[in-house]
Amino acid sequence: MHSFSYVKATSVKQAVDLLAANAEAKLLSGGMTLIPTMKARLAQPSHLIDIAGIAELSGIEVKDGKLTIGAATKHVEVSRSAVVKKAIPALAYLAGHIGDPQVRNRGTIGGSLANNDPAADYPSAALSLGATIVTNKREIAADDYFQGMFATALDAGEMIVKIVFPVPAKAAYEKFPHPASGYAMAGAFVSQHGKTVRVAITGAGPGVFRWTEAEAALGKKLAAASVESLNVDASNLNEDMHGTKEYRANLAKVMTKRAVAKLGK
Amino acid sequence: MDQHQHHSQLFKVGNAQVSRFEDMRLITGNGKYSSDWNAPDQLHACFLRSDRAHARIVSINFDKLRQIKGVVGVYTGADAQAAGYLRAPSFLPPTGKGGMKARVPARPCLAIGKVRFVGDPVAMVVADSHLAAQDACELIEVVYEDLPAIVDPEEALKPGAPQLHDDVPGNCPVEAESGVEAPVMEAIAKAAHVTKITVDCTRVTASPMEPRAALIEYKADTDSYVVHTPSQGVNMTRKQFSTYANLGEEKFRVEIQDVGGGFGQRSTVYPEYVSMMMAAKALQRPIKWVSTRTESFLTDTHGRANLITITLAMDNNAQFTGMRVDWITDQGAYLSPTGPAGHIRNATTCMNGVYKIPALYGHFKVVLTNTGWVAAYRGAGRPDIAYAIERAVDAAALELNMDPADLRRRNYVPLNEYPYKSATGSTIEIADLPGLSEKALTLADWSGFEARRAASAKKGKLRGIGMSAVIEPTGAGTAPRDEIELTVNGDGQVTLHTVSHSQGQGHETSFAMVTASALGIPVEQIKVKQGDAERSVTMTGNHSGGSRTMVGAGTVCHIAANKLIDAGKSLAAEDLSVEPSQVNYAKGEFSSPHSKKKITLAQLAAKKKLSVIGEGTFTSTYPNGCHIAEVEVDPETGVTDIASYLSVDDYGHIVSHTIVEGQMHGAVVQGLGQVFGEHIVYDKDSGQMITGSFMDYVMPRAGKLKSIRMEEYTTLSKLGPLGIKGMGESGCTASLPALVGAVSNALGVRHLDMPLTPSKVWAAIQQKKSHLGNTH
Repeated sequence: MHSFSYVKATSVKQAVDLLAANAEAKLLSGGMTLIPTMKARLAQPSHLIDIAGIAELSGIEVKDGKLTIGAATKHVEVSRSAVVKKAIPALAYLAGHIGDPQVRNRGTIGGSLANNDPAADYPSAALSLGATIVTNKREIAADDYFQGMFATALDAGEMIVKIVFPVPAKAAYEKFPHPASGYAMAGAFVSQHGKTVRVAITGAGPGVFRWTEAEAALGKKLAAASVESLNVDASNLNEDMHGTKEYRANLAKVMTKRAVAKLGK
Repeated sequence: MDQHQHHSQLFKVGNAQVSRFEDMRLITGNGKYSSDWNAPDQLHACFLRSDRAHARIVSINFDKLRQIKGVVGVYTGADAQAAGYLRAPSFLPPTGKGGMKARVPARPCLAIGKVRFVGDPVAMVVADSHLAAQDACELIEVVYEDLPAIVDPEEALKPGAPQLHDDVPGNCPVEAESGVEAPVMEAIAKAAHVTKITVDCTRVTASPMEPRAALIEYKADTDSYVVHTPSQGVNMTRKQFSTYANLGEEKFRVEIQDVGGGFGQRSTVYPEYVSMMMAAKALQRPIKWVSTRTESFLTDTHGRANLITITLAMDNNAQFTGMRVDWITDQGAYLSPTGPAGHIRNATTCMNGVYKIPALYGHFKVVLTNTGWVAAYRGAGRPDIAYAIERAVDAAALELNMDPADLRRRNYVPLNEYPYKSATGSTIEIADLPGLSEKALTLADWSGFEARRAASAKKGKLRGIGMSAVIEPTGAGTAPRDEIELTVNGDGQVTLHTVSHSQGQGHETSFAMVTASALGIPVEQIKVKQGDAERSVTMTGNHSGGSRTMVGAGTVCHIAANKLIDAGKSLAAEDLSVEPSQVNYAKGEFSSPHSKKKITLAQLAAKKKLSVIGEGTFTSTYPNGCHIAEVEVDPETGVTDIASYLSVDDYGHIVSHTIVEGQMHGAVVQGLGQVFGEHIVYDKDSGQMITGSFMDYVMPRAGKLKSIRMEEYTTLSKLGPLGIKGMGESGCTASLPALVGAVSNALGVRHLDMPLTPSKVWAAIQQKKSHLGNTH
């Protein structure tokens, strides 16, 4: 690891000001991606601005059919929250299956969404549920927020403050963990909002995406059989030693079917 | 069969279930590993490594290092040349096929002129902090001229392939043979059926919890070195240092305590350590280095990497008449100390497996590629040959439409033919595979499998069953003898010194149990010590590898205890006012019916020095077993669940069931790791390692194998007084073929090469579906 300066921020304003003042500064939330990258000497920030203790970034509440989660909320907190479990149990389930206990005790929802790892779990929930990403500057709809591998709509110097999830009628998440890393090789988050069904796939492609064909079929009939005759377009999916595009397309479909099957329960 | 029934009454050793004495220290963070050794004035080393697989070094520029405070020294291949640290120790059969002379390539401790794999050390920076050394390494500018790289061993043997070493033409250090070719070819020509199969016993890495590390101190007064580094045995480490540095063994003392995993990977003196010697001497300061996990993946020795073709000839009764083994062993860019010779020797010793095969011939091609070097890995050739034979037997059964258990039954060496002389010249002491495997088949309900398969099919799962029947040579060492020193202290405590180093095997427990049993005193009274610097020079003994330590040093604990009793009798005779022959010993007390006097071990030791060194030399023992696995494959995802795993093994006499069970669990799961995921992969074109972190290298997870039903079927070895067979590796040998067999059986395919990842299994299912679709 290269040497760096550490600053513990106490407000969003202070964190953003520090970020603006230091071109090579990075925000540190849980550090679950940033710290390993620094340890491998692949990242060399001049400053780490620790935002984990900022009061404005914490809290979980449900109001008017919307679940709001502060950006610095840890995965373990989401997974165990009675509020989340009641409003969107699938989200609590998802948070409880990210990484391992060490990761869940440090990693945060804001960090995961800001990093937008193509195999992260949270992006699928945000996209499927039609969440709103609230930053220090504006509100961004999930459909506009995710822009491919590690790319988001966030501007330089912009930071996520909270995430607002509309509470769905039903939702479920199923993932196939990568045999080495445990990240999603394919994860499907399926949610029903009135007559609309949204299906978001993470892990299989270069970024989270909606499987619109499945959404249409499931909108007509919400049953695993509805997607049986459909296939995820494999051409844009990832391929490596752990799986071909075709295998990942298959996993995306199987995970969708299994998530739908869980919805009924 | 009688000895099977009664062996437990023959020995008093090992009937109690003792928890391991070392575990409290190890699991509470009180172990002392190599990176825990520090010297007050130490400096820190960091290595600049090749980032390319094959290239000429055009120039190295250190100008920018002046920017970094604290840099004390920089070393390159020129320093290696000046020091003469040019040849890593390695062992090859000296002559090969047709009198071919073996060609051992140089391995300077820092690259000279050329780099040959990604990770090859090019320069070493020494600085007053680890951080400064790291920063400085990044500022070294190396100009390379890239050369074509070759990572595939078969391609590397072809004419026109890129050549790694000028003095090893064809990238082939040696072609070796075992057995006799002509009778095998005749058997194949006359066979009623011939099965031919090629299996890839894939390249893996051990990934021990403790990373490689060293602290090397130079002692100017004696012009010698004190070394602290993870080692499987201090004598072996000293010998390899001596060879690499062209210095006498007496110039090296090794002082270590705990080692966090060996697996064969800690049986090498690595070039980094020898590079550090140069700096320790030049700067007259201790030099410390701790490897990163990335360096571990790239530069710790890898294991297996053998491509094996079996040609098995059978008569019309499905009895084996001859077998040919064609074996390509990929050794990476350089030859390691435990790489080629061990693999050839071990595969030759048990080339017949557990079967009567009258004609055997093995042809081994050792090959160099632009990859990390390869060494022993839990079994070192034994699992590889057993895997190949067992996969061939399963393939033969499939081709003959026979029950694989029945085909094995027809070919086992029967109990009354042991000691069995194999066609490759081994004498295999004792095993009873017909009896042992029947026990396994019964316990696993082999004949009831089809009903379980049908039940799985109802759940949409593909169920498969696989068995393995294996044997291997363990125990023989390379040191002239194993020694154990026992000293009784004035308080009655017995201190036991050994140079056979534990890397987690639990010697502090098992050695104490054997000694306490022989002395008839509580096991808590024995204190086992290893890694003592002085004794690393004065005592002799094997390293812990090849499942040898209980066979050798463990048995010598018994011999030394009896020697201690004899020595005590001589010393006690005077106190008891009798002749030594009139002294009796029992339970820590010498007495004589003649004088009616007695004296305890403690009392005697308080008066007189009571210390002995026991010794013994042992050849091979032959642990064997039959493992049966059942799996359920999810056809939608290709995920394999292990439905059941049964092991029936012949370990000889068991000293500690706790330790034997632990070794078995670890070995079976290490095999499982290779079967289902572990695989070191290099990019074919660039020679870059694709699996250089745990993000891509698939380690087995605890949940994969939820339980093992472990059963015993014992024949005793007569090699030593305790009847022990070395068993630390045998679980790995048995689990590879049993698990691959079970998955292949589930899919209805002849063979599928490891690793059986979900994606590969799913693809095999799709291929089979489309094949069926086409033929219908």
